[in-house]
Amino acid sequence: MLLAKTLTSSTFKQALIAIATFGVIVSALFSYVYMSTSSYVRSRSDRAIMTEYSSLQGAYERSGRDGLIALIQRRIGDESFADNLYLLVDPSLAALGGNLTAWPSTVTARGGWTEFRAGGPLPNAANRPLIRAMLQTFPGGDRLLVGRDISELDRFADQIRTAMISVAGLLFVIAGVASILVTRRTVGRIEQINATSRAIMLSGLDKRIPLRGTHDEWDRVAENLNLMLDRIETLMGEVKQVSDNVAHDLRTPLTRMRGRLEKAYHGRRIGEDDQALIGDTIADLDAVLRIFSSLTRIAQIETQARKGAFRTVNLVEVAGEVVELYDAAAEQEGTRLTVVGDREVLVTGDRDLIFDAIANLVDNAIKHGHAGGHVVVANEHVDGRPVISIADDGPGIPACEYEQVFKRFYRLEHSRTPGNGLGLSLVAAVARLHGARIEMLDNAPGLKLRLWFSAPVG
Amino acid sequence: MTEGHRRILVVEDDPETAGQLVESLTTSGYHVDLAASGSEALRRGAAGDYAVITIDRMLPDIDGIAVMRQLRDDGVAAPVLIVSALGEVDDRVRGLRAGGDDYLVKPFSFVELLARVEALGRRSETIVKETILRVGDLAIDLVSRTASRRGKDILLLPREFQLLEYLVRNEGRIVSRAMLLQHVWDLHFDPSTNIIDVYVGRVRRKVDGQQAYPLIHTVRGVGYCLRAPG
Repeated sequence: MLLAKTLTSSTFKQALIAIATFGVIVSALFSYVYMSTSSYVRSRSDRAIMTEYSSLQGAYERSGRDGLIALIQRRIGDESFADNLYLLVDPSLAALGGNLTAWPSTVTARGGWTEFRAGGPLPNAANRPLIRAMLQTFPGGDRLLVGRDISELDRFADQIRTAMISVAGLLFVIAGVASILVTRRTVGRIEQINATSRAIMLSGLDKRIPLRGTHDEWDRVAENLNLMLDRIETLMGEVKQVSDNVAHDLRTPLTRMRGRLEKAYHGRRIGEDDQALIGDTIADLDAVLRIFSSLTRIAQIETQARKGAFRTVNLVEVAGEVVELYDAAAEQEGTRLTVVGDREVLVTGDRDLIFDAIANLVDNAIKHGHAGGHVVVANEHVDGRPVISIADDGPGIPACEYEQVFKRFYRLEHSRTPGNGLGLSLVAAVARLHGARIEMLDNAPGLKLRLWFSAPVG
Repeated sequence: MTEGHRRILVVEDDPETAGQLVESLTTSGYHVDLAASGSEALRRGAAGDYAVITIDRMLPDIDGIAVMRQLRDDGVAAPVLIVSALGEVDDRVRGLRAGGDDYLVKPFSFVELLARVEALGRRSETIVKETILRVGDLAIDLVSRTASRRGKDILLLPREFQLLEYLVRNEGRIVSRAMLLQHVWDLHFDPSTNIIDVYVGRVRRKVDGQQAYPLIHTVRGVGYCLRAPG
């Protein structure tokens, strides 16, 4: 199963191409080495033959046939010339001297280089050795042959060839096995990822691709895929949480309305009671409708469709307007509401949405800060980035709930304040749309929330 | 107001909503014509002299905005109130840019609709040229941006003056919170808290505090109304 996948995988095919290329190069290299080695060895032997041949030729010219025969006899007796083969024959090819017994039948040329296999037993030689020799026919018709047994050279060349072919063969086998192993590993990891994907499709998002701890690229791929799965799981969880909360938050007022209407339906018509009942029902309905419009608004912001309407916005101006709008509300709580910081902090964004976000944050700060406290809206540049922060000096929120409060419908455990728990979700959605980071800090006492925008382009 | 200026054209395709609209507008003293489709709206709109036209955005044949454009091209100048279930700011802006005078999101309260129709109807009347407006013993000077009661100055912040001016200009009519946000702050958003009430409360303390009678009245569930007694 895995082997079949290995052999059909693209990695393996690539490995085969690489091995083939490598093979061509190695063969070419080995052929070159073989040829140059054998021609070098052969040329050395040829030079030795030529040298010996020249001195014998000189002897013949100086002292005639008998002088040459005497020299050949001396050479045969000399250990240092043991490798050489000599033969001098008369015109009828009868041997006059030398260590070859008869003129080789295969040699018909009268001069120049020749190669032949010796016929009979020879000194220092195996059966039918290969001999390379120089021939000359003297003016009198005598023929001289000076040669060497090159069987050793031939065998040496053969050995080199065999060695090279073996090495090449071994290399191919090793490369083949290695590529199968490597491919198997790759295919194994991919199969692991595939198996996890299938498991997720079949059962649920809780599965993760196992890491091997090797910190290689496969572990990184697996890590990133796992992170993506985490994100999807979080989103799915949020969606479920939201629908649960919608169901809960809508069911409460709807149940109240239903109860009221049912009671009125069965009871007698009393003018004033009916009016109060209807008024309360309308108020509950409005709350339900407001939840719907907040949810659709957040959803719309999250589709990012509004990026087309981005303009340069001065945070200081927007903050000023928000503070002016909430001035009366702050006054009612006895809270001081002030704007501090730079005169101009420019960001690229949707003015209405930024207003909405800041308004929500200021609203929260006034509601959750302590009465008679101080809410500060600060506009500034930190590390070249536009930042707006909203700080109160109320009880703050525990650090462990920093993440939670941005979830839809989330309300702090002991929250006494009214609201549908969607305000900070909207802030988070607006921040995401603008690529802004939300940072929550302990204002000791109170909460400080900072929105880090990115510097406007151009 | 002449008889012609109490006539309203309602363009709405849902029979129940249309019926409720006609009923509540008729109760308030308007003469109401109903058009259930875009083509009918074009026919009636071009023929009649209406004080206000309300157009639903989602019509079975022609888009409400296209109807409004066509009416404008036909020379119909009556103010148009666009009513839509598409509540987002983008849609609102698109509707207003196309020539709508006001925008109301479904579902709405009929009091809110009436308040807006009243405000729009008044715009087609002659514009007040005076620089000092009076309601009871309250006088506001539009040039010096000051207000006084029985000759005694009331200290108001610029925005507070704007709010009072809007209430005075709509004297005797109901003004909703959304209308205040829209006309005093130029904001199209829905504050989840009672921020407007608190703001009006502050203006009210300055205007009505220690006076013979109150001018700013709360209309439960809708908004406010500025009127002199009697």
